[in-house]
Amino acid sequence: MSATNRKLNKAALHTLLIVLAFITLIPYAWLIIASLKGQDDFFSGIFFPPGEGFLGIGWDKLTLNNYRALFDLGFEVNLINSIFYSAATALFATFICAATGFVIAKHHFRGRNFITLVVLGALIVPPTLLLAPGYELLYDLGLLDTVWGLLLPLLAPAFGVFLFRQAVIQSVPDELLEAARIDGCSEWSIFFVVVLPLLRPMIGAFMLITFLGMWNNFISPQIVLQTADKQPLSVAIAQLRGVYKTDYGLLTAATVVSVLPVAALFLLLQKQFISGLTTGAVKG
Amino acid sequence: MHRLTNTILALRALSSGVWVIACLLILSTLLILVRKPSDQGDLQFWVYSPEHAKMYVPMIERYEQSNDVKLDITIMSNAAIQSRMMSGFFGGLPTADLIEVEKAVAPQAFMGPIEAIGFTDLTDMLVQEGLLEQFNQPSLNPWSVDGRVFGLPHDVHPVMLAYRADITEAAGIDLTQAETWDEYFAMLRPLMADTDDDGKPDHTPLSFWYTNQDLIETLMLQGDGQLFTSSGQPTIHTERNAHLLATLVSWCLGPQPVAVDINEWSAAGHKAKVDAVAIGYIAPDWMCSIWKMHVPGLTGKLKLMPLPAFEPGGRRTSVRGGTMLSIPKTTEHFDRAWEYAKLLYTSPQVARELYREVDIISPVKSLWNDPVYDEPDPFFMNQRKGRMYIELAPNIPLRPSSPYNKQAAIDVRDAMGRLAKYAKEQELYEPEQLMPKARELLETMQRQTERRMERNAFAQEDLAPISEDSQ
Repeated sequence: MSATNRKLNKAALHTLLIVLAFITLIPYAWLIIASLKGQDDFFSGIFFPPGEGFLGIGWDKLTLNNYRALFDLGFEVNLINSIFYSAATALFATFICAATGFVIAKHHFRGRNFITLVVLGALIVPPTLLLAPGYELLYDLGLLDTVWGLLLPLLAPAFGVFLFRQAVIQSVPDELLEAARIDGCSEWSIFFVVVLPLLRPMIGAFMLITFLGMWNNFISPQIVLQTADKQPLSVAIAQLRGVYKTDYGLLTAATVVSVLPVAALFLLLQKQFISGLTTGAVKG
Repeated sequence: MHRLTNTILALRALSSGVWVIACLLILSTLLILVRKPSDQGDLQFWVYSPEHAKMYVPMIERYEQSNDVKLDITIMSNAAIQSRMMSGFFGGLPTADLIEVEKAVAPQAFMGPIEAIGFTDLTDMLVQEGLLEQFNQPSLNPWSVDGRVFGLPHDVHPVMLAYRADITEAAGIDLTQAETWDEYFAMLRPLMADTDDDGKPDHTPLSFWYTNQDLIETLMLQGDGQLFTSSGQPTIHTERNAHLLATLVSWCLGPQPVAVDINEWSAAGHKAKVDAVAIGYIAPDWMCSIWKMHVPGLTGKLKLMPLPAFEPGGRRTSVRGGTMLSIPKTTEHFDRAWEYAKLLYTSPQVARELYREVDIISPVKSLWNDPVYDEPDPFFMNQRKGRMYIELAPNIPLRPSSPYNKQAAIDVRDAMGRLAKYAKEQELYEPEQLMPKARELLETMQRQTERRMERNAFAQEDLAPISEDSQ
């Protein structure tokens, strides 16, 4: 293939990708524009409100009032709560799952197979089935309407333990662990110094999955938490939706606020996320 | 020291994202720690509607100024109320002191024997205080089991027909003369012409479709169709239900259908309303406020009238939706909760606010004399719509409180879908032609419901004679 052909192919490919990227971004553009529209203009045009301005758009009708109204309602409290719940769950769940996965994968002890079976068994239990007994357990422990009541059940997900068990089996050679033990490393040091760096792609991917999972978690906070000051963004946004009428401008502004932090985090972690997801995807 | 250095070096190998999340955790923890915790109230009140909560707050604040008590209102989704309430009832755990429960959720709690229902039986209190007679009687029905009342009704939700009076009046059609659906459709035939040659009628008489479960239920209730008896026995397979099913399907099909599918909630549906794709819309009282907010383009174009009846002299209204206020048995503050319940559900101020904010009329009959209901509404060409809804309120059909009603209504919708498919395949569009198939489908639905009820050990006693009765 000649250089000119290669360039043409590349240009065609880039054009196609730009078109696809544009299509992908349309909903986000709609969301941002909708968040800048008032209630009266919300249904007046698909994107921009019609008006007398440039391109027949009512530029003067775009406003930041929805964002102001949002923070007047105390939305920042829910934003901070969401960040706290998601960050805490992501960090602690990753650490606990990685440590448990390492132990199950590389340590031989009595009952190991049984524990692995329990973890696998837990994977097939639908979370919805656990709502009622989980609620009762939290009540018995006095953890209803507490941060611990929300976080504790999510700190050691069976999916994460199994994922890290597989990652350790695949990425951490026994010889490396034996060499570290010969050098005098304790089991904690082996975990921190040898195992964790080798699991780096999986840590990034799992942390992002857990962060997003908690960020979007709606039903658990609704069930466990009662006080309005403790509710995360997902619940606060749902409460903006009225039964009889909804201020869609306010709702879309809240959605933008809830999307931005996770979008930024994804951009930051995307390399680890993708490499974590593709680990083991290619037979070596 | 060496070990610590190694650990730090190893942690440094973690990605920047991990450190960002760690920083977010530290920062958010600090912000939460410096935040002042809010005071806990003496009583808890769960509501699913932010609009309701907004109306109650001023009333509660005034009450609490003169009474040494504090009520916390928590707004939750219906799903969360259902999960927490049912978990509480099944596990014997405390819930809230007061719960506002929506029509689709409340019957879940009526599953077992009457003594196992988690809500307090309010019947004796209502009788003692003379409140029972004050409520619109049919509005108590969805919250009652075997004549015992487990919740105060929040609303009546009578249904009228909203129609494009700007178009009908310009065409010289007086729809108020239409007493039956047949007359209504006949009067609107002239407007169904296809003058713009787009292959569709310019206007279709009614916004309704055989897949819209809520509208099916509303119209079946209007036509005295019943899915359950007052004692909770299924009566799905009846001649009346088959007739209604066949009639409603016939409206949507055939060479010139009189009903059109317009989404009630989407922007496309709102645009179709503005464009008068349909002339008439089924309108419970709460729908008025939704239109005012989301379809302001309809201002001054709609008028309301009682629903045309299925037969001459038949019922001219129906009912759609509903909410009750309940006091769970687990409350430790029943007396205080009862005082709040009466304050919020029988006060003229809240009733007035309810109508002004969301166009809902109160179920308390003594409040119906309030002048607010006589105010002309510019959205509906200055009709005194509050009064019109009130006049229909005593005639709304009775609704069952059966926990199986929701699923049975879904089954009926599915049956309508199958009947429509059959009608299209066989090219049969007259109700009489569809009756045999409708009967067959309803019989299947009846059996399904009975099987479902048989799984409930509590329902078996009641179910035994049902099959015989319903045949």
